[in-house]
Amino acid sequence: MAERRKRVDAVIIGYGWAGAIMAKTLTDAGLSVVALERGPARDTSPDFEYPRIVDELKYGVRGDLWQPLAKETVTVRHGVNDVAAPYRKYGSFVLGNGVGGAGVHWNGQLWRASPEDLRLRSHIEERYGKSAIPHDMTIQDYPVTFEELEPHFDHFEKVCAVSGIAGNLRGAIRPGGNPFEGPRSDEFPTPPLPPIEVARLFERATAELGYKAFPVPSANSSIPYTNPYGVRLGPCNLCGFCERFGCFLYSKASPQTSILPILVDRPNLEVRTGAYVTKILRDSSGKIATGALYIDDSGAEVEQPADLVILSAFQMHNVRLLLLSGIGTPYDPATSEGLVGKNYAYQMVAQTAAYFSEDVEINPFIGAGAAGQRTIDEFNSDHFDHSGLGFIGGSQIYAGATGGRPIDQMMLPPDVPHWGAGWKAGIRKHYRHSAPLGTMGTVMSYRDRYLSLDPTYKDAHGLPLLRITFDWHDNEYKMAAYSASKMEEIVRVMKPEKHATILMRPGMPYDVRIYQSTHTTGGAIIGSNPTNSVINRYSQSWDVSNLFICGASAFPQNIGYNPTGLLAALAYFSAAKIGDSYLKSPGPLVPA
Amino acid sequence: MRWKTGILTVGIVGVVGLLAAMGTSYVGDRYAGEKHLAGPPATPELVARGAYLARLGDCAACHSIPGKPPYSGGLRMVTPIGAIYTTNITPDPTYGIGRFSLADFDRALRFGVANGHTLYPAMPFTSFYNTTPEDVAALYAYFQQGVPAAVVSNRPSDIPFPLSMRWPLTYWRWLFAPKPTPFQPLAAADAEVARGAYFVEGLGHCGECHTPRAVTMQLKATTPKDGSAYLSGAVIESYFAPSLRNGGTGTLGDWSVEELAQFLKSGASSKGIAFGSMSDVIIHSTQYMSDADALAAATYLKSIRNDDAGKAGPFLYDPAVHTALKNGDASKPGALAYLDNCAACHRPDGLGYERVFPRLAGNGVVQAGDPISLISIILNGASTPRTKGAPAQFAMPSFATRLSDQDVTDLVNFIRSSWGNHASSTTARDVARVRKATRPNG
Amino acid sequence: MVKVPSIDRRTLLLGAAPMATAVISGLAGCSPRSGDAAPAYSPTFFSADEWAFVRTAVSRLIPSEGPGPGGIEAGVPEFIDRQMEMPYGHGAYFYMAGPFLTDVPPTLGYQLRYNPREIYRLGIAAANDEARKAQGKTFAELPADAQDGFLQGMEKNAIQFATVPAPVFFSQLLANTKEGYFADPLYGGNRGMAAWKWIGFPGARADFTDWIDQAGRAYPYGPVAISGARG
Repeated sequence: MAERRKRVDAVIIGYGWAGAIMAKTLTDAGLSVVALERGPARDTSPDFEYPRIVDELKYGVRGDLWQPLAKETVTVRHGVNDVAAPYRKYGSFVLGNGVGGAGVHWNGQLWRASPEDLRLRSHIEERYGKSAIPHDMTIQDYPVTFEELEPHFDHFEKVCAVSGIAGNLRGAIRPGGNPFEGPRSDEFPTPPLPPIEVARLFERATAELGYKAFPVPSANSSIPYTNPYGVRLGPCNLCGFCERFGCFLYSKASPQTSILPILVDRPNLEVRTGAYVTKILRDSSGKIATGALYIDDSGAEVEQPADLVILSAFQMHNVRLLLLSGIGTPYDPATSEGLVGKNYAYQMVAQTAAYFSEDVEINPFIGAGAAGQRTIDEFNSDHFDHSGLGFIGGSQIYAGATGGRPIDQMMLPPDVPHWGAGWKAGIRKHYRHSAPLGTMGTVMSYRDRYLSLDPTYKDAHGLPLLRITFDWHDNEYKMAAYSASKMEEIVRVMKPEKHATILMRPGMPYDVRIYQSTHTTGGAIIGSNPTNSVINRYSQSWDVSNLFICGASAFPQNIGYNPTGLLAALAYFSAAKIGDSYLKSPGPLVPA
Repeated sequence: MRWKTGILTVGIVGVVGLLAAMGTSYVGDRYAGEKHLAGPPATPELVARGAYLARLGDCAACHSIPGKPPYSGGLRMVTPIGAIYTTNITPDPTYGIGRFSLADFDRALRFGVANGHTLYPAMPFTSFYNTTPEDVAALYAYFQQGVPAAVVSNRPSDIPFPLSMRWPLTYWRWLFAPKPTPFQPLAAADAEVARGAYFVEGLGHCGECHTPRAVTMQLKATTPKDGSAYLSGAVIESYFAPSLRNGGTGTLGDWSVEELAQFLKSGASSKGIAFGSMSDVIIHSTQYMSDADALAAATYLKSIRNDDAGKAGPFLYDPAVHTALKNGDASKPGALAYLDNCAACHRPDGLGYERVFPRLAGNGVVQAGDPISLISIILNGASTPRTKGAPAQFAMPSFATRLSDQDVTDLVNFIRSSWGNHASSTTARDVARVRKATRPNG
Repeated sequence: MVKVPSIDRRTLLLGAAPMATAVISGLAGCSPRSGDAAPAYSPTFFSADEWAFVRTAVSRLIPSEGPGPGGIEAGVPEFIDRQMEMPYGHGAYFYMAGPFLTDVPPTLGYQLRYNPREIYRLGIAAANDEARKAQGKTFAELPADAQDGFLQGMEKNAIQFATVPAPVFFSQLLANTKEGYFADPLYGGNRGMAAWKWIGFPGARADFTDWIDQAGRAYPYGPVAISGARG
C-alpha cells in the first residue's frame, strides 16, 4: 500500500527545463508545488566543478550525467512488423537525468521555429499543392502561431542570456543576423562571441556564395548580464567541454544557472529527488488526475496527491508515462486509431569533415556547444523553393565543432587507417587542422513512425520499456542529400586539402550506434482538436483536463533546429494561461 | 618560624584579596546598568523595527543554529580554555530571556552583564554599547513579542573549573569595554554620516572583525577618534578581514559610496565580492538594510580618512602580464599555474567577470598587507552570498589537492604582482601554516 | 593580569560554512602528479596470459615504433585492466537484461549478453585458440607482421570465434585502447600526457578566453591534467 503524502496544489513530474519553468510560474501564483525528479539533485557546485568536470572519459564517453540505461532504456525497431531490440548502449541520442535534466548537458543552441514551421501542412499545401505531402506523411499545423509565441521565445532567450544578432527586428531585416527568422520584438540579450577559426572560414566561403551566415544563437552569455529573474550568469570561454558536460563557469544556460537560484528559498516549493514516477493517478471517472505515484530512493511506493499535474519528464518519458497510466488511447499504426505515441520524429543530420593543410590552425579544442559557430538558414524549413526537388523540409548548415576531445571528436580522413603506425601518424597530422561542418535537418512525421510500450523488455521496476518504431523515409534521404550537396559546395570554397561527408543514404537504415542528436520529438502532439492531438494549444490534455504535458513530445513533426526554444515557449505560453484562466476556473481551456 | 608566618601571611592576604576581588566583581556586576527602565508599549511597529534592528545586529549569526528554533542559542564558540555555547534569547521564561525586564535586556546588550555576571565578550557588547534607548526598546519588544518562545536549555560551557570562574571578566569589562553611552552624533556631523556611524560603530559591530585587538583581546580602537587602528583590518580565523579605511592599496580607497552600499546589500560590487564569514554577514544581516541605511553606512565608511589619504594614487592597471599570456609567454613564475587554475574565471587580464567572479587586479583583499585571505581562498575555495537582490550563488572550488605549497606560493606571488598589483610576497612556510590550520585533515 | 579567553570565530562558520561548498576534489591520489616513468604495473583482472595478449595487441594497435608515444609507454594496458575493475567493466552502464536477440540488424546496436570483462575473457581465449590452430602459437608469440594480420582478420570477421564474434572483441579492444591513450592520466593511461602532447590537445585546461579573438593563431600552451600535473 503506497504511503500517501499531504495533498499539494500541483505536482510536477520531471525537473528539467520545462519543469523548472512550470515550478517558477506556479509558485509565483502562490500554489504549493512538489517537483518529483527521479534522478539526483545536481548543482554547478559541487557537481560540475572544475577540474573534475573536464573529464572526457567520465562524462563524454561513459556518460555519468545521463540516465542509467541499466535501470531503464528504450527499445528500437525500424518497421511495424519488426521485433524491437533494447538500446543497450548509448549511441544515437543521450537521455538526461537528475535536476536540470538534459538542460545541464545540452549544447545551448537556442532557436525559435520559423513562422511557417508552426503551420507546416497549410503552408506546404498553399505553396506546393496538396500532392506535395505524401499520403503517409502525417504532418500537421500547430494550433498556436509564431506571433502568439513570440513574447515567450523572447522571454526565454532573456532568461538564458542568449547571444546572437537579430536578423529580423520587428520586420526590418538586419545585416549579420538570420534573414529568414520570424520577426523579433527585441534584439538578442547579449552579443555573439567571435567566430572560431572554421566558422571564420565558413563566413568567408558563404559570403562568396551569396549566403547570409550568422552566429548560432547561443545560450552562453557573452557579457556580464543579469536575467529577468535577477540571476547573473558567467562567461563562456569556449572551453570545449560543452555537450555531455555541466558548465563549470555558470555560463551555459541550464535550469541551475538561470531559474533555480530564485526557487531555492521558496517555501511553497518542495523538490524531491530520487522519486521515480511510475503512474499518473486518476479518479474513478478517469477524467481527473489525482496525483502521481512514485518509487522513492528506498524502494517504497509513495502517492503524491495534487490538484494539478504537470508532466515534464522529457519527450520520451512523457509518452511512456501516458501509456503506463492508460491516459488516452495508444496509437495503432494498423488502424490509425489512437493518438498517444503518434508522430514520433527525430533529427536528420549530416557532416562534412574538412581536412586543411598544416598551415591552417583550427585549434579544434576551442569551441562551445553553440558560441563561436556560424550557420546559414537558406536551405532550412521552407526558406527556399522546393519545386521539382521531390521533398519538403530542409537543414541549417553550420560550421564549428563543439570541442576537440580526442576520444570522441577526433576526425580523420578515410585514407588514415583505424589503428597502427598510420593511425598514430595521422592523428598528429590532422588533429589541429581538421574541422567539421554539419547539417541539422527537419524530420517529418509518418503513419509508421511512432512510440508504444514494448511487449517484452522491462525496466528495473518491472515496467514495460518504451518502444520506438522509426526509420528514415525517402523525404528525409532526399532532403539530407540536398543539404549535404550545399554543404559540400561551401566546403570546397573553404579549400581544404580533402573532405569527407557522412550522410544517410537510401538503403542505410536508422543506426542507433552512432550519435546523431538528442532531438527526439512527438508522441503527445499538440493540435486543434481531440481527433488530431493529445494536448491542446495550452499543452492541456484533451483527456484529463488537470494534466498539462510539456516538452518536445508536443511537436507534430520536427523542425530543423534544436527544440528547446520552442518547447520552452510552449511551456511559458501554457503557464501564462494556467495563471490567467485555469487556476480561476479549472477545466478544459479549449472546447473539444 | 618566620618563614611559616610569612607563608601564612601571604596565604591569608592572597585569599582575602581573592575574596575581595570576587566580591567586588559580584557587586560590580550586580549593580551594572540601570535598575529600572521604562519602555514604550510593544506595538506591531515597534516589534517590526526591533526585527529590523536584530537583522542589523545579526543576532542570529550567533544565537540561531540550523535545526533548532530561531534564537534558541547553542552555537559552539571555541576559546583557548574551552568551548562556550551561545544562549537562548527567545522569550522562554525558563531558558530564555522571558523574565528579563527592559533594564535587564539593556544591561546585557550594552553593559555586557546578564544573570549577575559579565558576559564573555564573544557577545559584542563592546560594540552594542552605543545603542539608543529607543532602539534598545524596539529590540526588547521584538525579542519578547516577535520571536516564538523556544523551550531549549542552555548548554553550559566546556571550560573546566577553575578557569570557568567569571569574575575576571568584570575587570576586563571595566578596563577595556567602552563606556555604555547611547550614540550622540558630533555636532558638525552630516546626518547621513552620523546614521552610518551609529550603525557601523554600534549594531553592525564591524570593528569586532575589522579592527585589530591588543594582546589583552580588546579592540585597539572603537571609533575614528581612537586613531588609525580603527577598522584597519584584522586576522580572523585564517582570513584577513580587510581594512575599511580609505587610503592606498588594500583599503576601500578605490570604492565609491554606491559600490559599497551595493556590496552590503548584495555581497558583490565591481570592486569585490564577499567571502568567508562576510558572506554570512551579507546573507543574514546587511542584505536586509534599507537602501538609505546601506548608503549611510557606506558614506560613513568613505568619510574615515587616513592622515596619508590622497597620497597614494588610484590603482593603475598594467596590461603587461595579460599581453604576455595572450602571446604565449607564461614564463613569469606562477603564470602557468594561473592559466591552469584561475584564468577561466578570473580571466587572463585579472579583471574577473563583474559581480560573478571578482577581479584580482586592484582588488583590496588581494593586495592587503597580509596575504592570508588569498592563501585561504585558494586552498579552501569560496562561495559568494546568495541574497534576494543577487540570487545566483557562485562557488570557487578548493585547490588544496591540486596545488602544492610551492604552487600556491608562486600563484599568490604572481597574483599580487601582476596587472598593476604591488603587494608583498608570501612563502611556502606561510602557505603550509594556513593549510595546516584550515585543513587539519589534509 | 588574567588573560581573557580569545574567541576563535572559526566556529561562526558552523551553520552556513561558505567553504563547505568547496568539496575536496575526489582525486584520491589516483595518479602521480608528475607524469614521469611509472612503476611496473601488475594486473588485477587479466591473468598472465591475458596480460601478454593485451600488451601485445596494444603494441600493434598503437605501436611504439616511429615518432609519437605507443600504447605501451602510454600505459594503455594498465588503463584497460583498471577499467575492468570499475562498474564499466562489469557492464553497469549498459542494459544487460534479456532476452538477447540474435538476429537483429547491426544498426540496432549491441545485443550480446557479455559485459566488457566477459568480452575480454572470451575474446582473448578465442583469439589464442585460433592463433594456435592456424599458426601453432599464441597471439603474443607470433611475429609482429602476423600479429597485425591477425588483428585485421578479427576486425573484418575473417577469423571466426565460437563465442563472442571477433569484430565485437576487436572493436572493444580498439575503443578501450584509444580511451586509454587519450583519457586523463588519472585513469592509468596517457602517461605523462604524452598522447595529448603528440596531437597538441591542452587536456584539462578548458580556458581559451584569450584565444576567442585570435582565431587562426596556433594555441601555444602544453597540456594540464585534472590533477594539475603539466605535460
